[in-house]
Amino acid sequence: MFNELLQSSVLIGILYSGIRLAAPYLFAALGETVAQRAGVLDLGVDGIMLMGSFAAFYVVFETGNLWLGVAVAVAVGALMGLLMAVISVTYQAEQGISGIGLYLFGLGLSSLLFRVMIGSVKGVSGFPILRIPVLSDIPVIGEIFFNHNILVYLAYLMVPVIWLLFDKTTLGLKIRAVGHNPEAADSLGVSVNRVRYFAVIFGAAMAGLAGATLSIAQLNVWQENITNGLGFIAVALVYFGGWRPLGVLLGSLLFATVNALQLWVQVKGINIPSDLAVMLPYVLTIFVLIFASGRVRQPAALTKPFERSG
Amino acid sequence: MTDNLLPTGLPRIDLLEMRGVVKRFPGVLACDSVDFDIKAGEVHALLGENGAGKSTLMKILYGLYRMDAGEILLNGRPVQINTPTDALKYGIGMVHQHFMLVDTLTVAENVALGLKSSRGPLLDLDKVEARVAELSRVYGLQVDPKAPVWSLPVGVRQRVEIIKALYRGAALLILDEPTAVLTPQEVDELFITLRRMTADGHSLVFISHKLREVLALSDRISVLRAGGLVGTTRNENITRHELARMMVGREVLLDRNKAPVKVGETLLSLNDVEAYRVTGTRALYNLTQELRGGEILGIAGVSGNGQRTLAEVIAGLREVRDGNVSLLGTDITKWGIDKRIEAGLRYIPEERMHDGVIQDFSIAENIILQDHVRKPFSRGIFLDFKAIARQSQKLVDEFRVKTPSIDTPIKSLSGGNIQKVILAREISNAPKVLIAAQPTRGVDIGATEYIHERLIEQRNRGTAILLISEDLDEVLALSDRIAVLYEGQIMGVVDRQDTNAEALGLMMAGVRQENLVEMKAADR
Amino acid sequence: MRRLTPLFVLLLIAALALAACGGAKTAAPAEAPAAEAPAAEAPAAPAEPFKVAFVLPSPVTDLAWGQSMYDGLKAVQAEMGEANLEIAYSDSMFQVADAAAAIRDYASEGYDLIIAHGTQYGNSLFDVAKDFPETSFAWGTAVDTGADKGLKNVFAYEAAAQEGGYINGVLAAMMSQSGVLGVVGPVEAGDAKLYIDGFKAGASATKPDIKVNVSYTGSFGDTALAAEAANTHIAAGADILTGSAQQVVGAIGAAKDKGAKWFGTQSDQSSLAPESVVATQVFDWTATIKDMIALHNAGTYGGKAYTLTLANGGLKIVYNAGVAVPAEAKAAADAAMKGIEDGSIKPLP
Repeated sequence: MFNELLQSSVLIGILYSGIRLAAPYLFAALGETVAQRAGVLDLGVDGIMLMGSFAAFYVVFETGNLWLGVAVAVAVGALMGLLMAVISVTYQAEQGISGIGLYLFGLGLSSLLFRVMIGSVKGVSGFPILRIPVLSDIPVIGEIFFNHNILVYLAYLMVPVIWLLFDKTTLGLKIRAVGHNPEAADSLGVSVNRVRYFAVIFGAAMAGLAGATLSIAQLNVWQENITNGLGFIAVALVYFGGWRPLGVLLGSLLFATVNALQLWVQVKGINIPSDLAVMLPYVLTIFVLIFASGRVRQPAALTKPFERSG
Repeated sequence: MTDNLLPTGLPRIDLLEMRGVVKRFPGVLACDSVDFDIKAGEVHALLGENGAGKSTLMKILYGLYRMDAGEILLNGRPVQINTPTDALKYGIGMVHQHFMLVDTLTVAENVALGLKSSRGPLLDLDKVEARVAELSRVYGLQVDPKAPVWSLPVGVRQRVEIIKALYRGAALLILDEPTAVLTPQEVDELFITLRRMTADGHSLVFISHKLREVLALSDRISVLRAGGLVGTTRNENITRHELARMMVGREVLLDRNKAPVKVGETLLSLNDVEAYRVTGTRALYNLTQELRGGEILGIAGVSGNGQRTLAEVIAGLREVRDGNVSLLGTDITKWGIDKRIEAGLRYIPEERMHDGVIQDFSIAENIILQDHVRKPFSRGIFLDFKAIARQSQKLVDEFRVKTPSIDTPIKSLSGGNIQKVILAREISNAPKVLIAAQPTRGVDIGATEYIHERLIEQRNRGTAILLISEDLDEVLALSDRIAVLYEGQIMGVVDRQDTNAEALGLMMAGVRQENLVEMKAADR
Repeated sequence: MRRLTPLFVLLLIAALALAACGGAKTAAPAEAPAAEAPAAEAPAAPAEPFKVAFVLPSPVTDLAWGQSMYDGLKAVQAEMGEANLEIAYSDSMFQVADAAAAIRDYASEGYDLIIAHGTQYGNSLFDVAKDFPETSFAWGTAVDTGADKGLKNVFAYEAAAQEGGYINGVLAAMMSQSGVLGVVGPVEAGDAKLYIDGFKAGASATKPDIKVNVSYTGSFGDTALAAEAANTHIAAGADILTGSAQQVVGAIGAAKDKGAKWFGTQSDQSSLAPESVVATQVFDWTATIKDMIALHNAGTYGGKAYTLTLANGGLKIVYNAGVAVPAEAKAAADAAMKGIEDGSIKPLP
């Protein structure tokens, strides 16, 4: 029964799906990693993604210009991030509550805009598959890795970019310091709040990009609550990945690949109850979280607003 | 020309003056028109009690606070210092009492934080590491630039703080209570480094409330009291007593004469006690110790070596994993807190605001916290408010608690007065065993003097007192015997008259008493 | 400390208000021009309009279960005239507790008929129905009118989704080149399971060697996973897909991108992918709604259970003009429809 799954076409299919499915998680989780490393827990990711995905979809629906859609999604994400930063950094509102508020705001506003501006579920033609010349001709490897739309490549490119940001730049050093000991950073003339503004807005722009990936590259439709909680999984993946880009990459890939695997298990008619199959990725995530929780260090100042004290 | 340059290659600060500095916080005048100046190559000590305004004054100089009035002159020219960046630009650095280090980062990363890199947006950690290595050689501050800060002991972290300031070109360095977390040996090492720095032309501001250290290190001493400058004096022919009088504003008894008391029988004993912290790490290892009536046993040690767990194990707040505790010969390991109190065990906790009182309760309510179910405060299920008021008023008068009334919420009192209320509550009904954890931490000299007096009085009437303190001077002043705690184990127990700060310091750093003797023998 | 400042409070309120827009009571926008039915033409028209409230777990624009009922209500409204039928709805009521509150609110506000459009609302509906004996309540997918609880004011409704599923299965089997069909299901229960079982039966009866791969996403709204499921089916060789619940818009998008054909259910989905959607089984609730209104006006507040079938016209197979259906496939479908209507074909094995 299980050797059905071991055919090469199925294995390629699982890996290919896993890589594609992971892309929106990667954007959102890498962005959230930046915000959290600076000490801000942004639980509004899902709402930001909804706004970004709607903005991108609307622009493409009206103009057909895909890159303009991406740009607008990033800008809308950044605006949502600015809102989060004003509330949680400047006004120091409790981060968990403000994040949930932002999520509800994004969920409600995107649905409202959809009804007013579009009205019913429509489709657009999104980013096409971009076969990378030469590389995509490599058997198996080419099919799995170099046969995706451009936003998928971009998502994976962000992994080394964020790693470089953290480990090799002065800004990254500031982000890490501000998230772990803002008093120390402040005493050295680092503007804690400015760094946090940057991190939150950057993270939210990435969430906007994650939304665009859904609406104009992978699904090419828009529907109310299209993310269906994907942004919250992305937040969990940040913990899963131990606040490191590589960890987030592994987490996203694992989650997405197991999801792809369970779909194949069902499609191939392997006799597992569908309820169990769909639980698989979540169960696995919890399992890894339990085992990982001991070894990772979360940013010490996460969720703590900064204020100079006597 | 080169005479005016520091080893860091930067010009020294010949004269820095603060004039007429005023700083108000809501309800408090933290600095009341204070004048302060410092010259190249000198150590200028700022001495004062907690809340006297020392740290506030220096945080203004470092740009963390803005002054409400006054001016700062650098080599005679007025300068504006609004942020730490401004201060650093003028060559002023600060080493904070609570280290400002990000412990997940390496030494070099901590040093580079917030600075421009020679490679634009990219870090240049190789260069930073090389420079850190150079600075540590020049100033004798040994440290590995690649080591993550969490892996470093406290003394080394302080060196990192100093290097951080030097790296930023600090010609004037403010040191806020730098010795508070160090063992006596580490203090000696620090002083050697600091002297080398002044010899090279650095200016040092040394904030402290420890008279001995101030006298040992400084060239000049300024004393602050309640936000105002009491006076500035050269460190010549001035005594501890004179300084203490300037700090407190009246005559203070520094050295206590304790009449010898006949030591009674063992009242409390710990046998092979093993206990764990909330975090799950082991705090006490096979600890065995006895405490006798009429003695003060001092527990010395650097913060975080198991002192708190020790106190809590005895008070019944923390589970004993192995071994047992007995009080007056009875095993109380499994007893609840209430039963221990009834048997005559009392506890002055280290976190006074958190564990010692209920902040929103009145003084009277706090006084009857443990005893409200007992006579004379209760009759049946009812409280006897008259009896409560009578007893509270009596204690407030007797312990000279400064308060408008016994119904005042305790949180509005000063630290010293809150501590007096706790002390009054714990010793008013003649305890058999008293645990006093950090009884004078953050308390002014006047109240400290009073609390010490009452502790000795208790000892004289036969109470067994366990004094847990990170202030070695306090341990030396009060104890009859001293046990040193290091990483949850007792390094040795010595009689007060047979020991000194040096020997205790070695044990605080982890040297066992028996090895101490060998070391001495080797010296000879 | 500047915690909980007015700005923050304002944002929270805005967020909640907007979130509610995705759900809270919304008067349905007027579509048909009013004043189409002057009083003279309807002498028996009541002075007060008949008031219907509609509570559902998905958006009214879901192109599926929710929209089928909403379209039915709008059709009845167009027929009766806007002055005579007032519609209010609360959609995206995924939380049953929120839905229960909405149902009670509508009842207190004097609505005549309250439709709770989800099996999960049943218990809440019975609770409220007890307290408002003169208000009509309806719920589905269900057959239980609460008679055994002594309730006389509850209608129940369901769709025999297996019937259209069977027809779709026949068509899909006839049209498939690869001999593999893919089904993107939501949760293995209720209406979706009926439809899928019917689809499988229809396909196998037509081509015994056809392969029908079924997968469930475990959710009604996981659009992204539904899309990936569709991609997986296509990768596994399927050239024709079907599925149910609001999540299928993702699957339809995937089918369109890959050039696969699609069969829909619940609401007409051809607008989303005119080149892919072959046919849709449409749930037409207009007759049900009209009957409930008529019964209510006649003083019967509940007690009847409705089932949409091909025979009673509640289920319709709507072909998309944009996709050509081979004549023999159409003929097989028509034959199967007749068989189901006269009972000679059982759509469920």
